[in-house]
Amino acid sequence: MAGPLSKYALINAKLRARISKILPDEVFGQLAKAPSLDAALALLRDSVFADLEHIYAATGDLKSAELDLLKREIELYRGIRKHLHPGTKELVDALLAQFEIDNLKNAIRIYFDRKIRKRSVDDRTHYVLHEPIVHDLPMDAILNAEGFDEIAGLCGGTPYGAIVSKFSHTVETEGSLFRMEVALDHCYYSRLVEAINRLDRRDRDVAVRLIGVEIDLQNISWVIRLKSFYDLPLEAILTTIIPGGFHLSRSVIDELYQAQNVAATLQEFVAGKYPGLSALLAAETSSSAARLALVQRILAEIRKHEVQRILAGYPFSIGIILSYFVLKRDELQKIRMLLNAKQYGRQQERIESLL
Amino acid sequence: MISTTPMTQLFAVVLGKDRERVTEALLREGVMQFVSTLDVDLEEPDKLSPVESDVSLSDLSDLRKRVEGVLYTIGVVPRPPQEADLRDRASVNLEREGNRLDKLDAERQAVRERQRGIQQEILKLEDIKRQVSVYGLGLSGVKLDARHSVLAVQTGQLPASNVRRLDEGLHTMPALHMELGREGDRTHHLLISMKRDREQIAEILSSVGWSDIELSGEVLSAEADLLDELSGRLETLNTEQKTLQETVNELVKKEETHLRELWISLRVAELCSQIQTHFKSSSRTAVFAGWLPSSKKRRLVERLTEASDGRCYLEWHEADSAEIASEEIPVQFDNPKVLAPFQMLVCNFGVPKYGTIDPTPFVMPMYLIMFGLMFADVGQGLVLAALGALGVRSLRNNEAKKGLFHLSWLVVWCGVSAVVFGALLGSYFGMPLIKPLWFDFHGIVAGHGSGNSLISNIYDVLAITIYFGISVIFLGLVFNWINIIRTRRWMELIFDKGGLLGGWMYGGGIYIASYMIKHQYKEFPSGGVLMLLAGLPAILLFIKEPYHYYKHEHGRSDRKPNPAMVILDFLMKWIVELLEIFSGYLSNTLSFMRVAGLGIAHACLMISFFTLADMTSGVFSLLILVLGNVLVIGLEGLSAGIQALRLNYYEFFTKFFHGTGKLHTPISLSSQL
Repeated sequence: MAGPLSKYALINAKLRARISKILPDEVFGQLAKAPSLDAALALLRDSVFADLEHIYAATGDLKSAELDLLKREIELYRGIRKHLHPGTKELVDALLAQFEIDNLKNAIRIYFDRKIRKRSVDDRTHYVLHEPIVHDLPMDAILNAEGFDEIAGLCGGTPYGAIVSKFSHTVETEGSLFRMEVALDHCYYSRLVEAINRLDRRDRDVAVRLIGVEIDLQNISWVIRLKSFYDLPLEAILTTIIPGGFHLSRSVIDELYQAQNVAATLQEFVAGKYPGLSALLAAETSSSAARLALVQRILAEIRKHEVQRILAGYPFSIGIILSYFVLKRDELQKIRMLLNAKQYGRQQERIESLL
Repeated sequence: MISTTPMTQLFAVVLGKDRERVTEALLREGVMQFVSTLDVDLEEPDKLSPVESDVSLSDLSDLRKRVEGVLYTIGVVPRPPQEADLRDRASVNLEREGNRLDKLDAERQAVRERQRGIQQEILKLEDIKRQVSVYGLGLSGVKLDARHSVLAVQTGQLPASNVRRLDEGLHTMPALHMELGREGDRTHHLLISMKRDREQIAEILSSVGWSDIELSGEVLSAEADLLDELSGRLETLNTEQKTLQETVNELVKKEETHLRELWISLRVAELCSQIQTHFKSSSRTAVFAGWLPSSKKRRLVERLTEASDGRCYLEWHEADSAEIASEEIPVQFDNPKVLAPFQMLVCNFGVPKYGTIDPTPFVMPMYLIMFGLMFADVGQGLVLAALGALGVRSLRNNEAKKGLFHLSWLVVWCGVSAVVFGALLGSYFGMPLIKPLWFDFHGIVAGHGSGNSLISNIYDVLAITIYFGISVIFLGLVFNWINIIRTRRWMELIFDKGGLLGGWMYGGGIYIASYMIKHQYKEFPSGGVLMLLAGLPAILLFIKEPYHYYKHEHGRSDRKPNPAMVILDFLMKWIVELLEIFSGYLSNTLSFMRVAGLGIAHACLMISFFTLADMTSGVFSLLILVLGNVLVIGLEGLSAGIQALRLNYYEFFTKFFHGTGKLHTPISLSSQL
């Protein structure tokens, strides 16, 4: 069996070099301050994102540039996968499934809008990825399907067919894809946790913590959104909670749900689990928008803290790969958000609060 | 050159009416790094307020960035302003220029909307083309796998006058129609659409008078035509897209000259505004302060006096005056251009504190000697130098890749060093073509002898590197003493690990070690000598902790310390310090053996490749030698470069260099954006 050094020495060196190329926060600050989309794209001229300007100039279509970013992100996972040992490859495959599930959810939303809501969807179909990611899903056929049964059939041989089949009636009775999408997310995380459990002990410990924190953050975000925007009862929210979280116990979820000021409750949670971050969270907020921004900042800080902990620790483990994916995803999300914000002329303060 | 550039601080008061001209003079000279006037001892600082400007810095900056963004779309990156631009400076009407830019943006946006429309059309046709390529149309008698095809294919006729309406109706959806022929005022069409749109398609077809007809024989061969048609349309759309992109670019190109000029004016105004943010003003005066190299003082005085017609008050504070902490003084290097690659290596470690020794001029010879000893080969050195020269050539005008440019120069220097040492040690692509000028390194490694009576085996080579290491460490210690003397830290000079006692023990250790080697490890120097060289400094070192205790800690705490514990603490610290000195200096010195180690590895690799080449013949033999050289140049070149850097950083710099200085960053016309 390969030791950690032979498994991770090369990829560790490679990814640490790549991490040094990730755009620093000051560039995002400059992008937020850029007075136009052109100015923002000009700021990226000496980075790996220089070709976004070429795509935008050639098509006039920012979504095409975004699609390119998505393809690039998938290629990133595939590129790293090539350098890994079989056990670790399985984990990267499980992580790659997030793109497939997002793509499938997108296609199902288009189908749902076209067929059930009777809306025009033609301008959205072009931004669905047709190339196989993990499974060979016929996306054209899914987009053109006549019913959920057909979609379930088209997803046959993948874990998604049964989910689509199981929740198709709920979608029709509730007129919402929410439960089906939650089930697909659960499927992603359960397969990810299975892949983690197949890793050796050291890797498993690292992955359980980082992915567990990711799950915590996803759950916190859902509890806040489902309560604030949809006013769902606690029981309904609990059905959406993804198992496998690292810190978040049922009592914290209850507390978050009951709290009048979610940010304050979250601050208590952070003070208990991440005392080093509590100084950052001393900000008082009054408006709900500012509170939500604060909550997002808290979550981002927790994620950053976990990644920094891994990067400063033992180098020859799965941690470096997972940390790189987290950092890269954050970078790409920020780029997408900033370019869209510039395209739609959002206020600088608003953009900065989202960073 | 050995120390950082002497700096001086200026505190100036000018009349409010001269403010603009003084600002321009400061920008033109570009030597001042401004500091807050609060840092300067003023009698009534509360009476001063920030300078108010008609135009805000952020407005100027925003407009400049917008212009830059627009210019970038046509691949133009504006050059920094020149002195003439400052001289011919015209004021910028931000509102008018903003409106002009808005108008240009609106025109470009309109074209981009059309581009977006065409892009949608392209994506639609690509969707159809993908489907046709995968499943075909079933027109050639081959039955489609209808379960998976999402295309609906139908043929029919409609009045020729309605074809335009059909086009318009199908515009928003992925559909393609192709005229197959005419019969009077009716045209025959083949229509391909997505099955999912069948309801909307049916509505459109009925509104244009479409009637389905059976496929005729000649249409059966239409599949290939259709793919051609699709490709043709895609090509047309792509051409149109390119034309529109050109149109957008043309719109910018028409304004290019104006935009370039505007950018320069804005940049100059922005820099002036940036300078004025450091000014404080009273009712009639403006005050500012900052650091500049002492050598620029005279010229700046002339320029400021000229700009203010002599109506200015200038007060100078020399950097070495007692009231200024050296941490606050910015650092400027004072090295010739030729040392730029080595200055880059120093900066990578840190910036020397003001007034301390700048190691750059010493790094150059030391780095190159270390590299040369590890990578001694004339042929390989020439290849390295040539590669570096290529890099220099391609990067010489690229301001954004200045670091790579310096790195290329470093490669050139390393190549030259390898050539010199290659000639000294007699290696030409691993072959002894010419008699070595010093000794035959390959000969020693291969066990053939060196042709030099003084250096005859591997141990002699190792000894050379040890002597070299001792010299480097002693140089580091001497620099440390100079730095300490300059900053008048006398106790540190004596008691620090890198101080006089440390140096005494290191020198003593070297003498004792060489005495033992000379006597085949069988004899120590006499007790008196041992006492003088190692015992006495070790005992003197014991004074350090009690001195420190009585000077800084004694009597400060309310609790009375236990005397036994205090003495024990002194003893522990003394023992730890002694251990650190002995083990630290020993490992630092032996670390230099890696220079010989890598040199030996280099020679061994070349010998191995020659042995392999001898086992074959002809082309294979040549191929092995070429590949071997390539591998050695790549692998050994990198290793030697890294190890030479490591030795400089960890064995030399750590003796005296703390890297806590801050670079002098004046506001000038070429300031970084």
